[in-house]
Amino acid sequence: MISLKNVVLMVLFFSVLAGCGTDRFYVHRDSTLEVPKKVAVLPFENLTQDPLAAERVRRVVIAELLVRGIDVVEPGEVLRVLRESDIPNLQSISIKDIKALGRELEVDGIIMGSVSAYGIRRGIEGAYPEVTLHLMLLDPSTGRILWSAWRTEGGPTFWMSYFGTKGATLNETAKRVVRDAIDTLFAKGES
Amino acid sequence: MISRASAVLCGIILSLIFLSGCSTKVETFHISEEYDFSYIKRVAVLPFTNLTDNRNAGEIIRQLVISELLASGLVDVVHTGNVTRALKRQNITDINSMSVSQIRALGKDLKVQAVILGTVEKYGETRIGAVSAPEVTITLMMVETDGGSIVWSVTKTRGGANFLARHFGAKPETLSETALRVVREAIQTLYVY
Repeated sequence: MISLKNVVLMVLFFSVLAGCGTDRFYVHRDSTLEVPKKVAVLPFENLTQDPLAAERVRRVVIAELLVRGIDVVEPGEVLRVLRESDIPNLQSISIKDIKALGRELEVDGIIMGSVSAYGIRRGIEGAYPEVTLHLMLLDPSTGRILWSAWRTEGGPTFWMSYFGTKGATLNETAKRVVRDAIDTLFAKGES
Repeated sequence: MISRASAVLCGIILSLIFLSGCSTKVETFHISEEYDFSYIKRVAVLPFTNLTDNRNAGEIIRQLVISELLASGLVDVVHTGNVTRALKRQNITDINSMSVSQIRALGKDLKVQAVILGTVEKYGETRIGAVSAPEVTITLMMVETDGGSIVWSVTKTRGGANFLARHFGAKPETLSETALRVVREAIQTLYVY
C-alpha cells in the first residue's frame, strides 16, 4: 500500500521536474584552463529591448569577478583603449584586435558577452523576471575562446504560482545568472 | 491510504499527462551519409537570417548555437568578430545569395572546413486562446567549404505551454529556455555521427 502522501509527493516531484532549468558551459579541450589573474570585461552586446541591460549586467559580472579575487581593469580604461584602438564596433572585433587589447591592458583574459533577455515577462502565470546571458573568456595571446557559458533564469516557480511565495526580483535574478555562469569558470571541465 | 491499483492508475495518468500534454515539438533533419564529419574540426557560424518581428532574434539564436557547438565538443568555432571581418573582405553582403566560390573563399579565409547558416522563423510569444506561451522555430544548415554542398540541415520548432504548466502550475518554460531546448535538440542531431 502506498500512502496518499507519497502520491502527492510524487506529483509535486514531477511538477518541479518539468520546470527544471538547464545550463551548459564549455572549456577549451586543449587548454588546462587557469583562472586568469587579471581580465578586461569588454562592453556586452545588448540583444534586449532595454538599452541599459548590457551595461547593467556587465557591472554585475565585474562585481562578481572581483568578489572571486580576479583583478578587473577599470571599465573606463577599457573604453579608452577601445576608442584609441580604432575598433569600429564590438561585433567586428578580430583576434588581432583581441591580442592588441590584451597587450595594451596587460591582462591574461578578455571577457566578452551578450545579454539576450533582461526584463519582466508576462506569461500564463503572471509577471516574472527573465535574464539570459552568454559569457566568453578569450585568451589574449592566441585569441582563442577558452571558456563559454550560456545561462538563463526566470519564470515563476511552483511555490510562487500556488503559494504566493516571494519571487526573485530582476536584479536578484541577474545576480544569480551571473554567479551561476561564473561558477562554471571555476568548476573546470565540460558539462 | 490507497491501494496499489490506485497508485498504478495514478502512475498511468501521470505518464499520459507527460505524453499527451507535452508542448509541440516538430523536427525535420537531413544528414549526408557519404560525408566524413570527422574532417570538420572548425566551423564559422555566419549571421542568421531573421524572419521574426524581434530584430535581435537572429543574433540571439546565433550566440546560442555557438555556445551549444562549443559545449558539445564536436567542433571549434571561429570568433564572430573574425567572421564579420572575413565577410567584409570577401565582399559578401547577402548571406542568402552566397555562391560556391564565395563559400570556398570564406572557408580558406577563416580556415574552416564548414560554415553554419541559419534562419530564425519564429521567436516570441504565441497566444492560444487566453494563454500565451513561447514559440521558437529555427533552421540550421552546415555547408562544407570544399564543394559547397549542404551536409547537414535541421528544422526544429517548439512551442506552447505544456499540460503540467497549464493545469498543475509547474514552471512554464521561458522564451530563453524554449530557445535553448530548440537549439540543443537541433545540434544533437549532429551527434548521429
